[in-house]
Amino acid sequence: MLAKILGPDVSRWVLGWRSPPGPLKDYYRTDTATVDTPYNRVEMLAVDIETTGLDAEKDEIVSIGFVPVIKGRIVLAQAQHHLVRPDCQVGDQAAKVHRLLDDQLQSAAPIAEILPLFLAALRGRFGVAHHALVERGFLSRACQKLWGQKLEVPFLDTLALEHRLMTRRNQSIGDGALKLAACRERYGLPRLRVHDALSDALGCAELLLAQAAHCSGKKPAAMRDLLE
Amino acid sequence: MSAEIQEVRDFLAAHHPFDLLPQAVLGNVARSVQIIYARRGTVLMKPGDTVDTLYVVRTGAAETRDPDGHLLARPCEGECFGVRALLRGGVAVNRIEVIEDSLLYTLSADLFQQLRQDHSSFSYFFAAFDGGRIGDAMKVNAKDVDFLSKQVSELLTRAPVTSPPDIHIRQAAQRMRDQRVSCLLITDEQGGLAGILTDRDLRGRVVAEGLDYATPITRVMTPNPRCVQAETLVFDAMLLMSRHNIHHLPVLKDGAVAGCLTTSTVVDSQSASPLYMAKKVHGATEVAQLKAVISQVPLLVEGLASQGASTHGIGHVVSALTDAVAVRLLNLAEARFGPPPVPYAWLAAGSQARQEQTAVSDQDNCVILHDSYDPVAHGPYFKQMMQFVSDGLNECGYVYCPGEMMATTDKWRQPLAVWHDYFRRWIEEPDPKALMLSSIFFDLRLIHGDAGLFEDLHQTVLEKCRKNRIFQAYMATNALTHRPPLGFFRNLVLISGGDHDHTMDLKHNGIVPIVDLARVYALAGGVKAVNTFERLEAAREAKVLSTDGADDLRDALEFISMIRLRHQAARIRGGMHADNYVSPDELSSFDRSHLKAAFGVVKTLQAALASAYQLGRF
Repeated sequence: MLAKILGPDVSRWVLGWRSPPGPLKDYYRTDTATVDTPYNRVEMLAVDIETTGLDAEKDEIVSIGFVPVIKGRIVLAQAQHHLVRPDCQVGDQAAKVHRLLDDQLQSAAPIAEILPLFLAALRGRFGVAHHALVERGFLSRACQKLWGQKLEVPFLDTLALEHRLMTRRNQSIGDGALKLAACRERYGLPRLRVHDALSDALGCAELLLAQAAHCSGKKPAAMRDLLE
Repeated sequence: MSAEIQEVRDFLAAHHPFDLLPQAVLGNVARSVQIIYARRGTVLMKPGDTVDTLYVVRTGAAETRDPDGHLLARPCEGECFGVRALLRGGVAVNRIEVIEDSLLYTLSADLFQQLRQDHSSFSYFFAAFDGGRIGDAMKVNAKDVDFLSKQVSELLTRAPVTSPPDIHIRQAAQRMRDQRVSCLLITDEQGGLAGILTDRDLRGRVVAEGLDYATPITRVMTPNPRCVQAETLVFDAMLLMSRHNIHHLPVLKDGAVAGCLTTSTVVDSQSASPLYMAKKVHGATEVAQLKAVISQVPLLVEGLASQGASTHGIGHVVSALTDAVAVRLLNLAEARFGPPPVPYAWLAAGSQARQEQTAVSDQDNCVILHDSYDPVAHGPYFKQMMQFVSDGLNECGYVYCPGEMMATTDKWRQPLAVWHDYFRRWIEEPDPKALMLSSIFFDLRLIHGDAGLFEDLHQTVLEKCRKNRIFQAYMATNALTHRPPLGFFRNLVLISGGDHDHTMDLKHNGIVPIVDLARVYALAGGVKAVNTFERLEAAREAKVLSTDGADDLRDALEFISMIRLRHQAARIRGGMHADNYVSPDELSSFDRSHLKAAFGVVKTLQAALASAYQLGRF
């Protein structure tokens, strides 16, 4: 709501102002490059989370992986992968999906310790996620719980971008055509053999570089072209 | 601390030379990778550029060219590039362009140098890497001479010819004559070596001195000669022989005489003895003897290949043996059926004609008869004669040609005038299908008989071909039938399913296209040669083919042939039938990349040929 009235920059300023001193405030106080900047001149952070379910209100984050894309290069040296100890028991369903065992999670750090690491990595960077709605929702909800303010990140959604690109190319979009693996295959990217939050974050980062390269003409695409 | 990404680590671990690194180091390498994506056409470096990263292709492909534009390599999945620049202080030597959208892993120059310093196997890989043109790749691989490290005992072919010391000179000479040896080993009572008597001794110490032939050999033999033990390495034995200028070296095993090494044993066994085999062929009086000699061809080829002989050289040797067998059979036939009633010329076609046989293969041959040939009077003679020769070849392993392209077929056993007419029709009224079948007759070589008959025909044919561009275009179309197994530049296209699943056919998709190309160039240039290497060279001289094109094709042919030969040698060693189907898994990534470059050359020159003759369908 705030963003719609005041524009994203003002909204971020307001959120930062409202946030208590700490990781979230620090995040809001670091500027991100403008959307006119070419994608290979900015910093981004590709992120993927695994959760106990799809409802950001009820369900919890059980793992998070992120890797920065700095000026067009994915920098693995700064990749991080964390398991997160949920407050409640993990549902059987989610455990099956993610192959994370309860006792593995019980020895993990709580979200209160992990989220600051993520926010520190996110500082000055655009977010990148495949179907960013999930990451946006869960991470924002977690910030709200911890610091009372939501997280507003300029997220580049590779799924939404792919949808636009396919529509523009008049390609029909069949079932599952927008799944990460299907998108990657379209760009000749290798099939991912491991599925954890970090591998998927990397998979998403690679997809982004491929999409951005394909959106670029003689000049590299601006962030605006990829975000909208 | 950063997290390790298993995908990246697994990928590196599956590729040379990263698989040579210890586990812990590999983890660190995986962690320090940076990933970029480059679209087709992106130039990653030009000569003179500063380069501070090593590139590893994750997916896609790039192309490395030297400053003169020669293609050096086509690195693709799992292969490195930028190595040369890093080895030369970070200054690019070559131009590297991405030829297919690529995901690339990059490693910093510092890390690369560190790994080279700490891990000799890693460093060694890059020493051989990036050597240069395809030709250089062979030099690295070919010289695998294990001959010198064999033991002397492995070279001994026959039991020693020995004698007790109590005989006289004439008896010794008779024994040497009867046994056909150039030296006699004289043993003591215990079977140990007492002395040696050689042809040279008989000349120098007996005949020249006018010695009585009844003189005991103990007076003229060399007592206690230099000798070696059976376990001695061939190399050491050869050193000894050359150092003391001796031609015969007795070999002892457990104190007893086991044999005698002569310079010719060494030379013969060094080349698995093609001369010896040829000699046996010339002396054969029946097919079974020929068969016995020819059954040794696979061993001969393996031996030559393991000593680093070029496939060009091996082709000559093997084809020469085939020629010898054919000539021998024709001689035997003439002895059996009487002298030919009219002059004839027996010609080899196909790979034998081109002197490119690297194994015993199908027989392809034909006969030109003198125009005075009378079918009624002379027909039966030639028919039974050719049947005899063809049957003999078949028995030796040169099996009947499935396409019946043999002198036993009436159509291919005709007077000169008929042959002139055949060629006139092929050249002046080309029919694509007929041409495909008859293209084998554009590689002909006289093996036996009247050279004049063949000369007459060959000259006319060459002249007609050179002038007829439409015919050449047909041959060019023909030459594009078989394509290299390169899909979309990137990957080797493999046969899927069937007996040859996951392999490529090096003969039809590698060697045949080059042979076909060379034939078109040769016919267009009026070139007489039929050997592909010679054709390429002559076509270059006749300026129907560029110098680069000729060099590249020659290297490509040699390289593909060598890979095929190694594959076949390995199959024979494994007790299997030699075939042309190579799986990429049996190749090092070094060979794979050069093989791809070789296929790339073929593809490029096929395209050039297509455009030269404006063949739209390419």
